Amino acid sequence: MFEARTWRTRMVLQVALTLLVLPYLFPLIVMVKGSLAGQGFSNYTAVLAVPGLARFFVNTIIIAASVIVLVYGVTMMAAFGFAKLHIPFREFYFWLLLACLTLPEVVLLAPLFATAIRLGTYNTYWSVILPLAALQVPFAVLLTRNFINGLPDELFEAARVDGASSFRGFIYLVIPLTRPIAAAVFIFTLIAAWNDYLMPLVFLQSTAMQTITLVPSFFVGEFSNDQTKILASAVITAIPEIVAYLCLQGLFERGLSAGAIK
Amino acid sequence: MRLASRREPSGVAVTETHVAPHRPPSQRAGAVGGGVRTRRQARRPLGLPWILPALTLSVGLLYYAIGYTAYISTLNWDGIGPNPQHVGGGNYTRIFHDPVFWDAVRHTVYFFVVTFLIQTLLGLTFAVLLHSRVKLAVVYKVIVFVPVVLAPAIMAPVFRHMFAPDGEFNGLLHALGLGTLAQPWIGQTSTALPVIMAITIWEWTGVTFVLYYAAMTQVDQSVLEAARIDGAGNLRTLFNVIWPEMRGTTVALAILSAIGALKTFDVPYLVTIGGPNYATEFLGTYIYRMTIPLDHVGYGAALSIILLVVALVMAILFQVAGRERKARD
Amino acid sequence: MRLRLLPKSTVRRLSFLLAATVAIAGLSACGSGGSSGSAGNATSGTINWWGWTPTDTATADNYIAAFNKQYPNIKVNYKLVNISDWVAALRPALASGQGPDVFDVQPGAYVTEFKSFAEDLTPMAEQALGSDWKSKVAPIGISGLTADGRLVAMSVGAVYAGMLWINEGTFQKYNLSPPTTLSEWEHVCQVLKQNNVGCFVQGAAQEGFDQDTLQSIANSVQPGLWTKASTGDAKWNDPGIVQTLAIWKQMFGDGIMQTGAVGYQQYPDANNDFLTGKYGMVMMGTWYTQYATNKAMTAALSAAGVSGAKPFPILPVAFPDVAGKGNTSEMYGDSDFGLAVATKSKNRAAAETFVKWVTTTTAGQQVIADQLDDLPALKSVEPNLNVIQLVNPSSQTKPVQDLVTSVGTVTEPRESLLSADVQTAILAAATSVATGKATPQQAADTLQQAAEAAGETFK
Repeated sequence: MFEARTWRTRMVLQVALTLLVLPYLFPLIVMVKGSLAGQGFSNYTAVLAVPGLARFFVNTIIIAASVIVLVYGVTMMAAFGFAKLHIPFREFYFWLLLACLTLPEVVLLAPLFATAIRLGTYNTYWSVILPLAALQVPFAVLLTRNFINGLPDELFEAARVDGASSFRGFIYLVIPLTRPIAAAVFIFTLIAAWNDYLMPLVFLQSTAMQTITLVPSFFVGEFSNDQTKILASAVITAIPEIVAYLCLQGLFERGLSAGAIK
Repeated sequence: MRLASRREPSGVAVTETHVAPHRPPSQRAGAVGGGVRTRRQARRPLGLPWILPALTLSVGLLYYAIGYTAYISTLNWDGIGPNPQHVGGGNYTRIFHDPVFWDAVRHTVYFFVVTFLIQTLLGLTFAVLLHSRVKLAVVYKVIVFVPVVLAPAIMAPVFRHMFAPDGEFNGLLHALGLGTLAQPWIGQTSTALPVIMAITIWEWTGVTFVLYYAAMTQVDQSVLEAARIDGAGNLRTLFNVIWPEMRGTTVALAILSAIGALKTFDVPYLVTIGGPNYATEFLGTYIYRMTIPLDHVGYGAALSIILLVVALVMAILFQVAGRERKARD
Repeated sequence: MRLRLLPKSTVRRLSFLLAATVAIAGLSACGSGGSSGSAGNATSGTINWWGWTPTDTATADNYIAAFNKQYPNIKVNYKLVNISDWVAALRPALASGQGPDVFDVQPGAYVTEFKSFAEDLTPMAEQALGSDWKSKVAPIGISGLTADGRLVAMSVGAVYAGMLWINEGTFQKYNLSPPTTLSEWEHVCQVLKQNNVGCFVQGAAQEGFDQDTLQSIANSVQPGLWTKASTGDAKWNDPGIVQTLAIWKQMFGDGIMQTGAVGYQQYPDANNDFLTGKYGMVMMGTWYTQYATNKAMTAALSAAGVSGAKPFPILPVAFPDVAGKGNTSEMYGDSDFGLAVATKSKNRAAAETFVKWVTTTTAGQQVIADQLDDLPALKSVEPNLNVIQLVNPSSQTKPVQDLVTSVGTVTEPRESLLSADVQTAILAAATSVATGKATPQQAADTLQQAAEAAGETFK
């Protein structure tokens, strides 16, 4: 965004950026150092040797993927509806949706649990997927609606004049043009689903269904606390999320919408 | 009403269009909320079916929780016993007389204002800088984002250790010659809250960064060019061209930050357990404390309902404020 | 704004949605009455055991392996649930009827919380140990785990507190002997500070450990006063308690407590600092005895992030007479945990067999005892110090043996009498005094008010 024609300006920008990012780097270094203390890389092998680790990873992936698919589909539709279509009492529905964001997770446990029992989903993946998706949707709709608002109305008008139904407008206009925000929604939903601890703990009872967020608790006891391995497990858990971010952040690059009108 | 499914005979390009002449970005982008009702809007297709899945999922699943919580807030109950005591509004009156509650509210508000301002500023700065031509942009993007990915439960002991009297932070201060500033950051009521805020900012700047970065992809290049040709420097461009386009994102972030601040639990509970002596007690930690270890489920539910109402009011206020500024442009 | 009526189809759709939600709500609110489990076979089957302790699965597997030597056909699956998540996870699980068959119970709040889900184990105890079973187990384990006349859980072992642990090497290096009075303690700390070594470290942010220190101070001021206040036989703003808080404050002012103590948590912060030699003293209970062994201390050192460190001997010492009145500060304790059998379990008989083996047989109790984490509930069993490898047997054997013997006579409870609310109020009193926000008298008065508000009745 900033113009950087001269070598000097570019230096200034680079230095400013580096100084700003140092406070973010500092705790990360402390953390990685901590994960290598004591037994060094053996901490990592100890974590990888936790029985059932592969299974935990698989469970987490299944849950995260399902949540992402569900959230993406539902959010795109809703955000398109809120932003570009006519809805009577639109803001009321929107605030209805936003209210779902406001309850702390701990308060939700008991009623969600009762629901899970009645729907028969206790101890199945759905008991975690559905609440996680339900909690992510308002957040995603808030962001996506805003983004779609920024897409020029003329595009949709033109499409409608050309005879396209809203559905086709959705598929051929909204989906491609919202790649940047879709990538953001993908990432944040992935993180929320990947890192969630309380719901898998409470709703997934058998060890075969546990997620990787459970791994650190193998190293924490009432009177003991193996920091080194906890940090090592945190690093291992974080790596897939960082990889996903790296893959997706290419989608954040200058979008197609800027030139769409022309 | 124009039917959405009407089809033109294939192959015929309709040359008459309703596209208005090119309008400057500020009138087009980022409209949050209603906007001016035009003839065009009345002809828009109905959007209700589109929002129904979202409502079914979120409202359907969670409104039982909200209703259940509202019901429980009228009880004196421990969550298990078979005979809850009905106290009606009793919990609410006790809350209004509870000094810890008001402390928590104060901390939450202070926390929200400070963290929102700084996170927004930093996120915006990072987004703008990283959209410019700098080297190794990917490295910076990853560093700013990794904190978002790390669970607070894991980082809490790391931070406690970092801010301990003999921890890395004081060590850094000594190394920079600022040794006189070294103090037990978490062990003092005066500095515990700023530490919590600093940790939260560290954790969430990545979110504001990603969102601003995505929003900036929508900034029309031609307008930027025009501004530069007119002689605007980098900072002028930032204030007059880029920032207005970010309004929608900023409002969304304000709403999310407000709700997040109200719910915030992980960092203050895990790093300082709401202490020392309630210096870092937040609404979120107070609700947890009441609900789980102390089994005052009814009281916790009442606190949650208050939180819900406050959060909604703030969200509505932010949206309306954002819309008004839009209309004024 | 022009009002517009919703099209009929939408109204119908929405009302269906609302009705469905209400229906689900109604069904769920009908409660989760499940059928109670069948008894099942007593010598075979699979049972699920949930616990926060043993704190690592390997130890639990050891117990289970020893159990399987006698009962090879009962498979036991141990699920470790961290104590901080215990209530959140157990409540739904037990209510659902699909939860554990055997679960840990701690005296105090957990007994009240979970008693309706646990079987009365009195018949099991009588069957295993005879009608005089109460005389064969440590008394401290019985009362804490009994509610409404029913034995909610059978105690596995107890922990006691009220002692300090010191780094023998540090003390020897600076020619110091363990302090027996407050001024001696201050002197020890001065010497250590001059040599840039930390003196005493405590996780003062946490209720449980502050509670221990305060109870020990109170026992030095006026033996038994703390327990009296816990049962309502004395008030929390009794002059003795006020003096306790004053001495507590003095520990902060006189350099005994480490700087920033109220920001520390006992695990991992204080524990790691003591184990890495940064501090010479720490206040821990009998569960710390396990770190007197080679194996546990080496593991703990590496967990603390020290690579290649040598284990050092730690010694238990009595809490100093900080009040200067010549009272010995008596130790106190509770059952660490007991095992309960879930009423809704489908394998109750097998579950009972397991609980019976762990808590009432010599074989089961010996395995527990040799772990040195808990002291066994069964009176006839003691840890076998000949088999356990201490770091420095010559200096450690006698103090450890003395400790184990002396706690056998302890009757003073630790936390089991305190409700969760009173515990929170005690922490508030401790931190407000420590940070200077309240005087000892003010803090004691606030504590008394809070205890009354929490429902404690005073005579």
